Amino acid sequence: MTETSRRALLGTGAALLAAPLAAPALAQPRWPTRPVQMLCPWAAGGGTDAVLRIIAALLEKELGQPFNVVNRTGGSGVVGHAAIASAQPDGYTLGMLTSEICMLHWQGLTEVTYRNYTPLGLMNLDPPGIQVNVSAPYADVKALAEAVKKSRPGQMKASGTGQGGIWHLALAGWLGAMGLPASHVRWVPSNGAAPAMQDLAAGGLDFTTCSVPEARAMLDAGRAKSLAVMSPERLSAFPNIPTLKEAMGIDYSTGAWRGIAGPPNLPAEVRNVMGPALGKVFNSQEYKDFLNARGFGLLYADAAGFGRHMEEADKSLGEAMKAAGLAKAA
Amino acid sequence: MQLSDRVTGGVLVLLGAAAAWGGSRLPAVPGQEVGPAAFPMLIGCGLILCGVLIAVGIGRSFEAEEAPETPHPWWYGLRALVPFALLLFYVLASETLGFVLTAAAMILVGALVLGARLRLALPLAVLMPLLIHLAFYKLLRVPLPDGLLSPPW
Amino acid sequence: MELLEAFRLVAAPDVLIAILASAIYGLVVGSLPGLSATMATALLVPVTFWLSPIAAVATIITASAMAIFSGDIPGCLLRIPGTPASAAYTDEAYALTRKGQAELALGAGLWFSAIGGIVGTLSLVLMAPVLAEMALSFSTFEYFWLAFLGLMCATLVARSSPIKAIASMLLGLLIACIGMENPAGTPRFTFGVPDLLGGIEPIPALVGVFAVSEVMRAMVTPEPPKLPDRKFGSILANQWALTKKYQWPMWRGNIIGIIIGVLPGAGADMAAWVSYAMSKKFSREKEKFGTGHPEGLVEAGASNNASLASGWVPSLLFGIPGDTITAIAIGVLYMKGLNPGPTLFTENARSMYALYIIFILANIIMIPLGILMIRMASQVLRAPRAAIMPVILVMCAVGSFATGSNLFSVLLVGLFGCLGFVMERNGYPVAALVLGIVMGSMVEQNFITSLIKSDGDVLPFIERPVSGVLAAMTFGALLWPLGVWIWNRVQGPRLPAGSAAE
Repeated sequence: MTETSRRALLGTGAALLAAPLAAPALAQPRWPTRPVQMLCPWAAGGGTDAVLRIIAALLEKELGQPFNVVNRTGGSGVVGHAAIASAQPDGYTLGMLTSEICMLHWQGLTEVTYRNYTPLGLMNLDPPGIQVNVSAPYADVKALAEAVKKSRPGQMKASGTGQGGIWHLALAGWLGAMGLPASHVRWVPSNGAAPAMQDLAAGGLDFTTCSVPEARAMLDAGRAKSLAVMSPERLSAFPNIPTLKEAMGIDYSTGAWRGIAGPPNLPAEVRNVMGPALGKVFNSQEYKDFLNARGFGLLYADAAGFGRHMEEADKSLGEAMKAAGLAKAA
Repeated sequence: MQLSDRVTGGVLVLLGAAAAWGGSRLPAVPGQEVGPAAFPMLIGCGLILCGVLIAVGIGRSFEAEEAPETPHPWWYGLRALVPFALLLFYVLASETLGFVLTAAAMILVGALVLGARLRLALPLAVLMPLLIHLAFYKLLRVPLPDGLLSPPW
Repeated sequence: MELLEAFRLVAAPDVLIAILASAIYGLVVGSLPGLSATMATALLVPVTFWLSPIAAVATIITASAMAIFSGDIPGCLLRIPGTPASAAYTDEAYALTRKGQAELALGAGLWFSAIGGIVGTLSLVLMAPVLAEMALSFSTFEYFWLAFLGLMCATLVARSSPIKAIASMLLGLLIACIGMENPAGTPRFTFGVPDLLGGIEPIPALVGVFAVSEVMRAMVTPEPPKLPDRKFGSILANQWALTKKYQWPMWRGNIIGIIIGVLPGAGADMAAWVSYAMSKKFSREKEKFGTGHPEGLVEAGASNNASLASGWVPSLLFGIPGDTITAIAIGVLYMKGLNPGPTLFTENARSMYALYIIFILANIIMIPLGILMIRMASQVLRAPRAAIMPVILVMCAVGSFATGSNLFSVLLVGLFGCLGFVMERNGYPVAALVLGIVMGSMVEQNFITSLIKSDGDVLPFIERPVSGVLAAMTFGALLWPLGVWIWNRVQGPRLPAGSAAE
């Protein structure tokens, strides 16, 4: 622990200067030779911002040039996503894409789709869980599903994010997989997962479909329980929560994901340097510790895999949005 | 820009009507009985009511009397638009000229309009942009554009 | 034993350096127009990567407390509030400055901020479980009434015609409608501009209507007579007398701050508004409000800092942010392995005590550092207006740009400057506009979601015990002036004509 406390001391001294503790790179590639801007379409302090900042710090260590995170917010992510797509394709402006890029265009809010980027690597995926109040009478997700099927349309209420947000689509997808229309359970829009979890604890909702890490504090506090997670495998941070497939035989998975990408037509050398660098960052102990500490899901895909992932996500999210009546008829 | 209550009240009525009309045209949302239209329409109606009351002159008695203004030539009031023009200049020029030059121009013009001598305005326009750049760029890591002239740090 | 261990944790050199550095940082950032306390904490997050857990949380606690206080400084000296939490009483503080009592106003801000912070911390130490239980019993129904009550403060705070205050507030609510961050997720009033999809942030609006419009006013008004050039008096000299004189408002401010802070989603801004309005409502010298009267400063200054400390209660116990600052802090807590939840209080009691100590420490060092800051900042009063105003304008541009690296917010600042200038000239209070923008989405969100949950039934709005009480308070406050008016009408003829002079 002497190593950490020494760095802690150094860091404190440098707090005001915000001096990066960058290790010089051994070999100097042709890219990057100057600082790289990493655009974050969401505000400072949020989850995407936190993940991007740790990636940037580790890339800086890996490639020897500063990677500066710039929060380009506005328009519910539209502005920042568009800025990444329209940046100079010189490799000095990259950014983080989030699931919203496969949703916004279906709502008719932007022309930009996943095709307008050069994917570089998928870095994280958080599957939604199904959480109920701890005093709810459902022993497992099957019991909840039975109750949902028996209820009048609109009688049960669920929440987790705003109208048309990723967790709303998760609900629509789950209901769809059970053969129910998306409107069978009424969605109560909320300003993010935290207020929804509070309302769940206060007894105002039947269940929430936000991600498990977002529900974590309430789970730890014994106010809520998570019945299932909508992913192919159990989460490493929450091994006690069964998957939907295990619990009720429904093979449905989705999630909110984050990945690094750049504008179209990035030079080959940028792709060749960045791809392996992101792989190394993902496999580093620091990255894994950070994501595990916050409960974020670890999922990596290389450039080509990220491209395929986005293509699939775009299709399935589009279907869910049409089913929920959220996509713009075009 | 001292307008009579009739004018400002009228503007509020028009704005409220526009808000209510614009709100009423918003589409309903499946699964929500009270759609996105309700709130703007409510506010629009409130604005219309307030606008009418103000235009008619109800509640005027509460206001504090303002000191009479000294007479000025007609263009004097336009000086109030200088700050807006300078901000617009920043929006349009900062990407190409860079922060330091844009800010210097803003400070120089602003100070001169406010009646500063060149002896004060010039050093201010040279020093302050550099100081602000140092504080925001280095300490707060705000990505201020470099443009034509990038500071030595 | 645990307590001793906690003291040892805080006394580590890296923690002490972190507290000092982030205190100075928070003071500076909070005093710059456009940079809020939230922004100050958000920018600290990458720095905390390199700090030990206690030092990391210490920087957040210290910087946010300092920033909320120092937001009072530019408000008092230049009538430009540094953070939204200071907007409620900016006019009052500035009026004191114009009367030549800047040190009294700033000293009150400092002294009662520190007291509020310490009382808030004590509430955190002694009553965290009780307060958390209260916060959890608040559902959207209760939040709706709370937000509605907050909005009504606009009419109480204003010195101008109440109808114009309501009109300003409605205008703010209308501005809050812009974008797609509404319960329906439908873009409203965006006119096809993608930048408007996310809505209008309170910060550019605040900077515009207060700071830019102040610069605009300077352009068309002759330079005000210079304040007599004199040595700045003692900052703390009169505070003890104020504490004794306004003991009751101070405690009321503390308690209201604690209650509002504990409720997730309602933070220091709302605490300051409600407390200032309460102070005016219950004061024996109502007519002095707005003319440079310290009573409201005492109550609201204590309130916003008390809310800051109690805002940590739901964050630490349930991981639910009490406001935007604690939302960021929760991320840091997780990152450092201090996972929020009841276990933090039992298994990690050492770290909890250390956090308490840091809270108290931060509020104590706020006094000497704040005095230094005030002394330096008050030099601004001596500088010629032609030098100050253009620099403020540049800072407005950079400050609003900093939040999202988006030039659109600079344009917004300019537009809000024009709006604020015109409103101010015609007797429409701009503070009410800011309140409308800040509270707009909260009112609508809770109203619509409550209706969705009750299937369109309005009964739950008054049926639940807490919401019933809040509803009664709201209607009481609404109907009170009407009742008084009718009472006067009925009683009027019997009274002698001279009594109308009241």
